[in-house]
Amino acid sequence: MIEAKRIMKRYGEFVAVDDVSFSVAAGEVVGFLGPNGAGKTTTMRILTGFLPASDGTALIDGHDIFHEAIAARRAIGYLPETPPLYPEMDVQGYLTFVAKLKDVPRAKRKAAVERAMERCGLADVRRRVIGALSKGYRQRVGIAQAIVHEPKVLILDEPTVGLDPIQIREIRQLLASLATAQEGAHTIVLSTHILAEVEAICRRVILIHKGKKVLDAPLSELTANGAKLEDVFTRATQRDEAELESPPASATPDAPTGAAQPAASA
Amino acid sequence: MRHTFAIAGRELRSYFVSPIAYAVLTLWAVIAGFFFVAYVGFYAQMQKYPDPAMLERLNLNTQIVTPFVQQLWIVVLLLVPGLTMGLFATEKANGTHELYLTSPISIGSLVLGKFLAVVAMVTLLVALLGGFVGLLFYFGSPPPELPQTLCTLLALWLVALSYAAVGTLFSALTRSQLIAYFLTVVVLLVITLVGELAPVASQAAAGSSEWVTSVVEAGTSAVRWLSSADHFEQLATGLVSTRGLAYFAFVIGSFLIVTKTAIESVRWR
Repeated sequence: MIEAKRIMKRYGEFVAVDDVSFSVAAGEVVGFLGPNGAGKTTTMRILTGFLPASDGTALIDGHDIFHEAIAARRAIGYLPETPPLYPEMDVQGYLTFVAKLKDVPRAKRKAAVERAMERCGLADVRRRVIGALSKGYRQRVGIAQAIVHEPKVLILDEPTVGLDPIQIREIRQLLASLATAQEGAHTIVLSTHILAEVEAICRRVILIHKGKKVLDAPLSELTANGAKLEDVFTRATQRDEAELESPPASATPDAPTGAAQPAASA
Repeated sequence: MRHTFAIAGRELRSYFVSPIAYAVLTLWAVIAGFFFVAYVGFYAQMQKYPDPAMLERLNLNTQIVTPFVQQLWIVVLLLVPGLTMGLFATEKANGTHELYLTSPISIGSLVLGKFLAVVAMVTLLVALLGGFVGLLFYFGSPPPELPQTLCTLLALWLVALSYAAVGTLFSALTRSQLIAYFLTVVVLLVITLVGELAPVASQAAAGSSEWVTSVVEAGTSAVRWLSSADHFEQLATGLVSTRGLAYFAFVIGSFLIVTKTAIESVRWR
């Protein structure tokens, strides 16, 4: 469903994403892990077509994100780090507008909006102005706009950041329901740096550190024989380049130090 | 086109739920009303002249409609950037541009949709003037000429749209509404008033060699063409020319295309 091929993103000298490849099968739920500034958001922005890759490309549902951008974007639902909400619109009006942008046919639009509100628990606040909603509800509206056109792929950038524990639990339940829904289960890529979240929702983990993919394994494998995900995470991010199990072909010995300086300032 | 209308509709609604539309409309109505009353009062004074030759030459178009609408260009220049400043700047500040740029829509339809919303607002402003001028048709005897009056209003409409196209570009270049507003006003003042420099330049060039004068002449006539002042005045006084209409089409079209390119360049940088 998602096929990332050697994605690179450079900002001048600084390499934000360095030769990242992975593929996600239909129906999979993948946790995109990494410390702050690791390149998670940049990678997601490239997958959604918001940013161009400096090199490499990706296929979304078989469509190249560069050459068939419109078709690829139609297959994606995206929740950016800051939900793209208009504070002055009401929930239903906003979702209807998004459905228009996402090419939901007129005949199905009302039902699609209704369904998205239903799934995200927004039916009671449909007439409320988004600016007057709590942060948890706003996050739900953000998720609702990502699923309103029933995309095959869902890309969620830190969906629970800044929420209180109860809201986090609600959002997690919502995401779990999206992943396991009988009809129209989504392929989900979700970025986070909260490890418990990964354990609660994801079945596979991709770990990014300093722009490079350092780990890609099923969760069950990582936590087999009682290992803690936290330890795995710490080890993977602190390991030296030379000790990597499968060092990327393009890795050079001085790459980590070269990348570390701009990363600290970013 | 579907997307264009969806975007235009959303933008237009957001004007009316924020104070911007009301502030602009109120200011416009008050200032235009003040000018209108002043011109009508002045005209009434003149009618008391006993000189019949003078009375012959008085007519509502040249004495009220045209100068009244022409005076308003400076008000338009200050108000229209207020309508355009938020078009793209607020999207960037709120992060909502991520929605547009990851949706299956073209940047062209995005820019056009935003601009259409401003077109609707500008049309509303000009229609309000139509209300004032309509009073002259009702009470004036003889009433103003309809074609010339419409032409004058068309002139203001086109000038306002060309200002809006410039404002749209500057809104796309920054994430601050305030910066977008001031940049637009400064640039508009320059391109409107630069034509006034033409006589100064030719005076300065007078007396120097023939080669210099011809270059200066070519330069000043190009600058005068680029400045909106002449085109506006011609159209406002009832002279419809292809040249004038082409000018406005050129300015609006080129600024919208540059806006589209500017947004795309941010994406593909």
